[in-house]
Amino acid sequence: MSTLTPNNPNDNYLNHTKGIRSWLLTLDHKRIGIMYLICILLAFLMGGIFAMMIRFHLLTPEGTFMTQDQYNQAFTVHGAIMVFLVIIPAVPAALGNFVLPIMLGAKDVAFPKLNLFSWYLWIFGLVFFLIALGSGGIDTGWTFYTPYSIDKASSMGGVIPALIGTFILGFSSIFTGMNFIVTIHRLRPKGMTWFRMPLFLWATYATAIIQVLATPVIGITLLLLVVERTMGIGIFDPAMGGDPVLYQHFFWFYSHPAVYIMILPAMGIVSELISVHSHRHIFGYKFIAYSSIAIAMFGFLVWGHHMFTSGQSQLMNVIFSLITFSVSIPSAVKVFNWLATLYKGSIVLNTPMIYGLSFIFIFTIGGLTGLYCATLATDIHLHDSYFIVAHFHYVMMGSALIGFLGGIHHWWPKMTGKMYHEGWGQISSTMVFVGFNVTFFSQFMLGSKGMPRRYATYIEMPEFQVYHIWSTSGSVILALGFVICAIYLLHSCFCGKKAPANPWGGRSLEWQCTSPPPWDNFAEQPEVGDCYDYSVLEWNEEEQGYVWRADAKHPGEENV
Amino acid sequence: MSNTEHGHHESGLGHIVPVKFLAFICGILLFLTAVTVWVSRYDFTEINIAEMGIIMALAVATVKATIVGLYFMHLRWDRPFIAFIFVGSMLFVVLFIGIALTDSMAYQPEIIKGNTPKVTEALEKLQH
Amino acid sequence: MMLSTVSSLLLATTQGAPANFWLPKQASTSAQGVDFTFFVITWICYFFFFAIVAALLIFMIKYRRKGHEIIVRGPTHNTPLELAWTILPLILVVVIFVVGMRGYLDLREAPAGSYDIQVTGQKWSWTFDHTEYGATQVGELTVPVGTPVRLLMTSNDVLHSLWIPDFRVKQDVVPGRYTSLWFEALAVGDYNLNCAEYCGKDHSKMFSIVHVVPKEEFPVIMTKLASEYEDMSIGELPAYAINRLYNRCQSCHSLDGTSGTGPSFQGLWDRVSKGEAEFTSGEKLSNLLGDATTYNIPENYIRTSILDPQAHIVQGYLGSMPSFQGQLKDKQITAVIEMFKHLDEVTDAEGNITVNPDGTPRQ
Repeated sequence: MSTLTPNNPNDNYLNHTKGIRSWLLTLDHKRIGIMYLICILLAFLMGGIFAMMIRFHLLTPEGTFMTQDQYNQAFTVHGAIMVFLVIIPAVPAALGNFVLPIMLGAKDVAFPKLNLFSWYLWIFGLVFFLIALGSGGIDTGWTFYTPYSIDKASSMGGVIPALIGTFILGFSSIFTGMNFIVTIHRLRPKGMTWFRMPLFLWATYATAIIQVLATPVIGITLLLLVVERTMGIGIFDPAMGGDPVLYQHFFWFYSHPAVYIMILPAMGIVSELISVHSHRHIFGYKFIAYSSIAIAMFGFLVWGHHMFTSGQSQLMNVIFSLITFSVSIPSAVKVFNWLATLYKGSIVLNTPMIYGLSFIFIFTIGGLTGLYCATLATDIHLHDSYFIVAHFHYVMMGSALIGFLGGIHHWWPKMTGKMYHEGWGQISSTMVFVGFNVTFFSQFMLGSKGMPRRYATYIEMPEFQVYHIWSTSGSVILALGFVICAIYLLHSCFCGKKAPANPWGGRSLEWQCTSPPPWDNFAEQPEVGDCYDYSVLEWNEEEQGYVWRADAKHPGEENV
Repeated sequence: MSNTEHGHHESGLGHIVPVKFLAFICGILLFLTAVTVWVSRYDFTEINIAEMGIIMALAVATVKATIVGLYFMHLRWDRPFIAFIFVGSMLFVVLFIGIALTDSMAYQPEIIKGNTPKVTEALEKLQH
Repeated sequence: MMLSTVSSLLLATTQGAPANFWLPKQASTSAQGVDFTFFVITWICYFFFFAIVAALLIFMIKYRRKGHEIIVRGPTHNTPLELAWTILPLILVVVIFVVGMRGYLDLREAPAGSYDIQVTGQKWSWTFDHTEYGATQVGELTVPVGTPVRLLMTSNDVLHSLWIPDFRVKQDVVPGRYTSLWFEALAVGDYNLNCAEYCGKDHSKMFSIVHVVPKEEFPVIMTKLASEYEDMSIGELPAYAINRLYNRCQSCHSLDGTSGTGPSFQGLWDRVSKGEAEFTSGEKLSNLLGDATTYNIPENYIRTSILDPQAHIVQGYLGSMPSFQGQLKDKQITAVIEMFKHLDEVTDAEGNITVNPDGTPRQ
């Protein structure tokens, strides 16, 4: 009863029905997850090309090959694509959609049609972004600060389509969040109590709460911006008695919780990676579960820390600074719990684990540098400098994205039924780790020494060129790491070894169905036990994977 | 498919609100809208509370929102937990608007008065 | 180099400390509080970073998996430990917050009797008005050493942010509103001033230099600046006006022909001297120029436009120009008029300024 095989062993969700319509009109959460994954990775490629353009342009103080306007567009589009099209949907929509129902023990999400609709909304959002690029481009920065984004003479013609696209993407996020909340509340099988859920589900649940509560605010903000730009209602434009700082309040009320949408699911993945690949029961399960909810809640109270120099009142500055520190504590607790999980574990340094360990290293730096940003005296100096750029890349890219990549590798055998080439995986994940640190660590010094961000040229500050050269060199290693990863993952789709049901020895329910899973996930109701107790598994040489030990008690008989 | 309904109806469809009742509620809302429009035009200075207009409009809006929540959003017949979630979200709205407005009010002394050319333009257009 | 790095880090929190691995030199009195906070955080970060990485490396090596056998061992839970590593960081962050808040309050509260300078940020330059002396600087700011200086700032168009890294001061500049910052420079020298809030095309070119000069020299420099134009000949006035005065007109009047809140200056003299303007009152400029008319010569019309812009509003515009009565001396108005007459000598067709204030060509 360990692996629930479907009636036809060769039938799985990938080949159960054929044809393009069966994919584009699918209600299967697994197929929707795969479609999201492909699209998000393509968007990541697009955003990454702009990133490389930025890095190469900054090799020289006069700017290497772009005009000021082109550079301004490059960083705006890079930011907008990466934030709205890639990182916010990445883990919840691509991996969450695939894994969550199976991990929960359900056959699908609560609202499968809404799930498909969310994917189409993402596509519409992408279409509007492409329209924005084609109709004049955008150069306002991904934050669309007023009054610059209102002034038609200043900013380019693509602003309205970009705002509409982001508005639509917001709904994709809201519906996904809603779906997940209802699924976790209502579709848990017998035995799957709240505190038996794997931590990835806790993380996804906390993320879903933020998605539903916060995203409507950005929707309304962008709508107000569109109306301001087209009809001049005068809410943000000082020439009409409006308040540009009010826009910043509106924008960051969503965008700060948004960064927790980015990081929480990745932290959930890391909990799984660290535990499974060291065959160690997660340390401090309840603390980690509660800390996810705590981060989600506290995350709503701290948005003003993006506005310390904006003209926000002194009182608010002090309050926001104090509360911001409170968010750092649950995150620190998670890091300590993961380290304690590694203690006395049985650690295998395979690709998912390398990504997991990279996450801990990089997130430590990202979180600690957040202390400088939360502290008033230092943030006055560091705000809008490269220090901030480095900080958020450490947490958004080095942590959230690396968690995403780790999750892709961890669940790759489950999703595709194929094993990727482990050696190349280790090489590429190491290159990503090294390249990332070289690229972004030098930017901390760039910022604290005085280079502002969003600068196309730095002719008056040529002493900073050496840091930029370091940074660009690192970005080349990073890019190469990603390219290698793309190659061996694609290669595995066609020529990879067949994957067993449980290649890593995981205990959560997704490892109890075949790789790839059958179209309805489980032929029989799965049995729920302690999802971090690995003692019941053993290696099976023939399958090249882990199976239930013959002498192990089954969940129904366990004393949990 | 697991049965996700906890309701006390065996049909599994849940409580159905009669259309006539909903239309009645709609009528009440339209009436309250008319009240709001009247309030916006009535000069309250004789009662010595100049902001009475705003107070009344906000009070009516609150009543309307409550009616919409209770009847159109079905909260009257749902589990209390659902209403709790709704009210809880309102707390976030209060947090957001409250802090943004508190901050705005704190820097009012620094606003440069009269520096609004487009407002002047609009007012002039109105006067002609 | 290692030794100098370490020693500079240890000295980093004394006032006036030189540049070190992380930060530029301290050039203002408030910088010390900021740097002290920075290094309190830094040493806490070093400790936790090295502890965590050491743990990672040790565990990675010591608990390496051999073979495929599953070994289950180790604690899953330890309440005292978990409480400890929650409460200790909590205490540390409160300490950091308090230290940071004190440094911040010092940055915010300007001492009484500070020397005030009005600052205007606009796309893409900084204008500094020394109202006490009646002098204006564009692109450079001269201040006396050892004196508290307060900048009262606003923007003409979009958000900008004034950042002087060596002084550790930064404040966004918001249109329609005043914001302020203060500093007291420690040593004579030149320091970078950057715009730190993205404001469009030339955001990275919105650079100024802060010249900190000895206290006795400062009034001399200011007085000279205020009367800079007084000794100039008529021929030198256009270059002076386009560099020192045009910035006040910039937000409404372009140099490249595009009509804004006000008409472009390009070709303006041509149109005015030929009388080619119609006013909203129905009056034509050509009727007001010539013998025995209101203005006689075009120069008089321009003078009135500057001092009393509401007298005649050109058709198609809204009359939003403020009066410059009291802001410009007679000779400065003459300079503006000369600038109009010779605009093609001091600007190019795209509206870029092509000369320096002293008349030499600009790169």
